[in-house]
Amino acid sequence: MTTAIRQLFYWMPFLFGIGFIAPLIAQMLEYWQVEAPWGLGPVMFGLLIGAPWGLYATLRGRWL
Amino acid sequence: MNEMTTLQPAVGLSPGAGDASAIPLGAGNELDAHTRRTLLQQERAIARKYTSDPKKMWPYTAITLGCFALWLAFWPLAMMDILPLWLGFVASTVFAAGGYITSHEAMHSNIGRPGTKERFWNEAVGQVATIILIFPFSMARMMHLHHHYYTNDPEKDPDYTDAAPGKYSAWYKTWLNRQPGIDGSIHHYKRILERIGTPAAKAALRDTMILQLGAMAFFFAMAWSGYAMEVALLWWLPRHIGLSYIRFWLSWAPHHPRTGTGRYDNTRVFKTWIGHYLSMGMQYHVVHHLYPEVPNHLTRYAYREMKPLLEARGVDCSALKD
Repeated sequence: MTTAIRQLFYWMPFLFGIGFIAPLIAQMLEYWQVEAPWGLGPVMFGLLIGAPWGLYATLRGRWL
Repeated sequence: MNEMTTLQPAVGLSPGAGDASAIPLGAGNELDAHTRRTLLQQERAIARKYTSDPKKMWPYTAITLGCFALWLAFWPLAMMDILPLWLGFVASTVFAAGGYITSHEAMHSNIGRPGTKERFWNEAVGQVATIILIFPFSMARMMHLHHHYYTNDPEKDPDYTDAAPGKYSAWYKTWLNRQPGIDGSIHHYKRILERIGTPAAKAALRDTMILQLGAMAFFFAMAWSGYAMEVALLWWLPRHIGLSYIRFWLSWAPHHPRTGTGRYDNTRVFKTWIGHYLSMGMQYHVVHHLYPEVPNHLTRYAYREMKPLLEARGVDCSALKD
């Protein structure tokens, strides 16, 4: 149980990228009526940014 | 600072009580035992005048519960486009930072002492005030009291990770310490609680886990339901701004440069251009560390009376004349 929770917290930045950053980017694009590049939908574009960013934060230990 | 201090400021509190003593006495640790004891008695007499009376602390309770109720109301109001998000963002940021102040009084049981009928409200304020910060009361209280016991100890003071050489680096560090791979802020608190290992520490860790996971579940569910902007502006950003503000003003500013570990040198008296209210009363933090039972809104008045005694103890009060 403890190990599972530790793992969950370790991967939390990645989950945050998918669970929060991605939809936030998508909704910001829609709010400001900005088209996502390469013909992607807003959610796909959000995931394309949020998931790698969260993975980067998980592995490097910081968001920037 | 003057190398020597005369007896008058140390014991002569009444105006015109006498001229300077014939035998000059040193400040701080150079004082003899009798003078130190006399100073301490006078200090305590002043502190007693300003010690919190839980019956008069109800504004802390009213403000905390009122702000929390407003913050809860912001959600449906923002989702229905009744409340402008920018307004909700500004208010939520104020609630996030200010909540720590009311919670802080609860940490010291200033709103209700154990075993009294006011205790319920003390605990209620503590539990509610820092929810926006995703910082449970059990952890906040344990870590803050630990900070009081071990102020500026590099190993044992939970807030020592806020140390920074200057104000710009201090602001940067407030952000850096929250990064997932850095041993600062709440990550540092978790490690200390694991080391303490008592049932209370384990309970604090459990509360932290529940609050953090609950908040993340709420964030994700709301964001994927189309309310990511609401979450960002009513909770996520206010929390980050509030935490940085608190870390800077409540931890770095009053303890910089974190070299003193003694009763009279583990804080500093300072003056800031942003003033008493925006610095959350921290210019007078020395009074809080000496007498945590004096509530935040009274430390200024206690300081004014204690100033001659503090100076006699070697505290540099030159930054604040009153």
